[in-house]
Parts: sequence; structure tokens; C-alpha cells
Amino acid sequence: MNEVPNVLTKTKPATGATLLSTSKSSKKADWSFLKSALPYVLFFVVWEAFSRLNMRIEMFNPLFLPAPSTLVHDGWALAKTGVILDSIMASSGRILAGFAIGSVAAVMLAVLISKFATLERWVSPILTLISPIPSLALLPLFIIWFGIGEFPKIMLIAWTTFVPVLVNTVDGFKSVPSTLIRSALSLGASQRQVFTRVMIPSAVPNLLIGAQISLGLSFSALIVSEMMGADSGLGYMIVDARNYFKVTNMFVAIILIGIEYSIFAMLLKLLERRVLGWRKGGMGQAVEKAKPTRG
Amino acid sequence: MKLTVNNVQKSFGERTILKDIHLTVHDNEFICILGHSGCGKSTLLNMVAGYMFPDSGTIEMNGQAIEGPAKERGMVFQDHALFPWCTVLENVSFGPEVQGTPKAQAREMAMDFLKMVGLDAYAAHYPADLSGGMKQRVGIARALASHPEVLLMDEPFGALDILTRDLMQRELRRIYEKLKTTILFVTHSISEAVYLADRIVVMKHGVIAEIFEVGLQHPRTFETPGFGEMMAKIERLLMEDEEEALV
Ligand SMILES: Nc1ncnc2c1ncn2[C@@H]1O[C@H](COP(=O)(O)OP(=O)(O)OP(=O)(O)O)[C@@H](O)[C@H]1O
Ligand SMILES: [Mg+2]
Repeated sequence: MNEVPNVLTKTKPATGATLLSTSKSSKKADWSFLKSALPYVLFFVVWEAFSRLNMRIEMFNPLFLPAPSTLVHDGWALAKTGVILDSIMASSGRILAGFAIGSVAAVMLAVLISKFATLERWVSPILTLISPIPSLALLPLFIIWFGIGEFPKIMLIAWTTFVPVLVNTVDGFKSVPSTLIRSALSLGASQRQVFTRVMIPSAVPNLLIGAQISLGLSFSALIVSEMMGADSGLGYMIVDARNYFKVTNMFVAIILIGIEYSIFAMLLKLLERRVLGWRKGGMGQAVEKAKPTRG
Repeated sequence: MKLTVNNVQKSFGERTILKDIHLTVHDNEFICILGHSGCGKSTLLNMVAGYMFPDSGTIEMNGQAIEGPAKERGMVFQDHALFPWCTVLENVSFGPEVQGTPKAQAREMAMDFLKMVGLDAYAAHYPADLSGGMKQRVGIARALASHPEVLLMDEPFGALDILTRDLMQRELRRIYEKLKTTILFVTHSISEAVYLADRIVVMKHGVIAEIFEVGLQHPRTFETPGFGEMMAKIERLLMEDEEEALV
């Protein structure tokens, strides 16, 4: 069984290895980059080939599944009209505003809840009542209440962000180890200092978990709200394309949504790494990678 | 400094954990509280720290009833309780900083205490990088940096291996001789108590069974005349009931 070559990782037979070993270390970085890019390349190559084949033999209408090369071509043409930039700006603005409002409101309420037990007794049953409702179900209601402008969209995103951040942050405040609070008090910290210097830093990991959960949900809220009663944004681009049967534009919008989400998720990860640099753990820390034995 | 525990009683629900506790701690004394697991040592120490309050009786420091935690009573925990998001230096300077010392000066003070416990090289590390013994040294440095009048220690070396524990006991004794801070030290190790303490308070079933004056010359070792006898005496006291129960 060991003799079966793994096509994705092992490309050289053992005899070639000695010849390569001198230049190997310097090239190593490029290799690992190529290796990680391979699945993406393969995906688009197969897609391209399939679309082109379909153009020949017309298994179905070629317009339904444009080739990546067509998408790049048409996408570029679209970009030159400024539509793409406008859509990205509109969507980013909404998600940033909604996400910020939702998170700030959630953290503020979490702080109040951690200070006043009575508040929790009143808020938590109401939350259990409302929070299971998918926020998208509220959108038509929000449109009736707030009209079709920016406000209902941002409110929807804010609400979607609010619940997970609140729940996780409250949980974070509750799980602060009591010995940490005791230490701080015995070192002469005031109640306020205990809060800012102990409670908040210990709750930050949970807060960020909440934010990460929220991000996916609030992107759905963004796109759906742009599909209903909007005249800009990536979601609007999709419905607009449907109305004129421009499937290519639809794909362009879909891909842009994917890219934008990835960028936001990455920013959040970067923030997490900045803020939680002190944290140790996970597989990387648990087991050190064995050094490959050479000889 | 004078700490007096006067006729203290404490119950959790129906169970009486401590009763008739009388104890006076004088300035510069090193006192060990020794007893079986569950006899109420931590409860007593937590009341002195101000985390809990007696049901009846009083605990006073310098004639003032204890009303809550304060920097005059520093605490070292068994699980060290360092702030994981602060570096070693930030942990130690936490006390001076919250008490209003300018940051730069607080850091300088912290560095001095880190030097005293031999960890100045680790100032910029996070607690997660340190071994158990090192964490506990930082815990001690942190408590001392607030210049407490009495240092409360709840089984600070309980989670360490025997060799590290020996080392830490010697270190603590050295620090104590240098600073002459009053120390109230909880342990369930008889040898630890005899090695460290001026007086040993032996607790059994929620009461103080006896208080021993150790009176041996420092530095002590197992070979010090009287060390073994003292240990045997305490062990006999602690085992008494257990043997009766077996008969
Ligand atoms: N908050 C609490 N609520 C109820 N019971 C408690 C509480 N804290 C302690 N106890 C009980 O009080 C008794 C004494 O506890 P304590 O922690 O003081 O013991 P200890 O002497 O420190 O023991 P150990 O050596 O194991 O730390 C135990 O039986 C424990 O179950
Ligand atoms: Mg205890």
C-alpha cells in the first residue's frame, strides 16, 4: 500500500530527491504556495473545460454556465462602467455600519447585564423568545416599518449581529475565573478597575467568537435585504441580472460576494490574532511538528 | 501590624465549617495553618482576605474589622491566578498601577520584584510560557509588589513536584528573611510547615486543635535537632482520631 504514489503531494520518485535536495530549501516556500493553490486552479480549469465542452455539444443552454474566461472578460467590461465598484462600496458600507452598530449595542447591553442581575432576569426570557426567529423573516416587516431606504437594511444586519455577540459576551463575563477577580481586588483594584482590567479582557475571546458567528449571518442578511427593495449593492446586482437574464453578471456578483466575505473574515481573524496574542493552545501548541529525519 | 481572629464561626448551609477560632498574628510572624483536606483552612484564609465574612465573631487588622479585600492583605493562590493576557511584568506591576503609581515607575518596581524571584529574564513573556514553579514565583512577586502588610498563601506549592517545592520553600524563606513581611501560609504538608513556620496552627474538624511554637534555628533541614520530633508530634495529633475510628 505504501508504494501507491499520492498525486497531490508526492510528485518526485525517490531517486530524484537526492538531485533536488540542494536547491530544495530555498524553493520550499514557492512549492508550498503552489501546492495550496492547486485545488483552486484545478477547480477553475475543470469549470472552463466543462463550459467550453458544453458550448460545443450544448447539453444545456451555454448561457446558464458561462466559462471563467467569459466571466473575467465580461466582469472587466462591467468594472469599467463603474457598476462593480459602486456595488462593492454600497454593500461594504451597509455591512460595516450594521455590524458595528449591532456589536456595540450587544457589548453595551452585555456590560449592563453583567452589572445588574435584574436586567438579565428581564432580558434573557425575551431573548429566548425572539432570538430563534431567523432574522431574514423580519425583513418584510422592517421594510413596512422603516421603508425601503438604508435604515431597514442596516437595522436587519445590526439585529443579526446583535444576538450572537450579546449571548457570547454575556457568557464571557460570567465565566471569568473568580480567583482572577479576587487577585485584582487583593492587589488594590477598585470595582471599576476590576471591570476594565479583568472582566473585559477575559470576555474578549468570547466576544470575538460571537462576532465570527455573526459575520456569516449578517452577510446573508445583507444580500437578502439588497435583493428586496434596493437599487445598489451586490445583492441588487444579482436580482438586476436576473431581470435582464444576464447570467454572467449574476456569477460576477456571486464571486464578489464570496471574495468580500473572505476579506471581512480575514480582517476579523487578524484582529483576533492581534488581540489574543497571549493565548496558547490548539493542535499547533499541543504537539510540536516532528522534524523530518534525513539520512 | 496585628491580626486578630476572635471567636469566629462559619457555616455553609447546615454544615458548620469553623467554630471557636481564636488566633493572633503578630508583626513579622511566619505562621502555617496545617490540617486535613476539608478542615476549613481555605475558608479561614478567605475570611482574612475579605472574600467571605464570619457568621459570628470578628476578624480585625490593626484594630479595624475587615470589610473586604484590600491591598494590605496580599494573596497567593494555589493555581497562581495570573492574568493570562498580561505579560509577566504587567502582572507584577498590576498592583502598583491600579493603586495610582505612574506606569513607568510601577514597571520599575515590578522589575525589582521579578529580580528578587529570579525571573527578570522572563519579564516580556506571557504566563502560558512559564512552568508551574515559575508561575508561582510570579504570583509571589505580584503579591509582594503591592507592599502588603500580611501575605496570605493558600497551598501555594501544592501543585508543584517535590524538588521544585523544596526549592520554592527555600526561596520563600529567603524572601521572608529579606522583607520580613508577615506571612499566613496554608498547607497540608507537615514537613513544609515545620520547615517554614515560626508557629504552626493545627486545625482539626473546624477547630484549632493546638498551636505549636517551632523554635528551631534557621536554616532548617530534616537533620536539624528537633525537626523530626516536631513532625512526629504534629503527625500524632493529626492521626489521633483516625486511629480511634479504626479501633
Ligand atoms: N462556598 C462553599 N459552599 C459550601 N461549602 C463550602 C464552600 N466552600 C467550602 N465549603 C466546604 O467547607 C469545607 C472546608 O472547605 P475548605 O476549602 O476551607 O477546606 P480546606 O481545609 O482548605 O481543604 P483543602 O486542603 O482540600 O483545600 C469543605 O468541606 C467544603 O466542602
Ligand atoms: Mg483549601
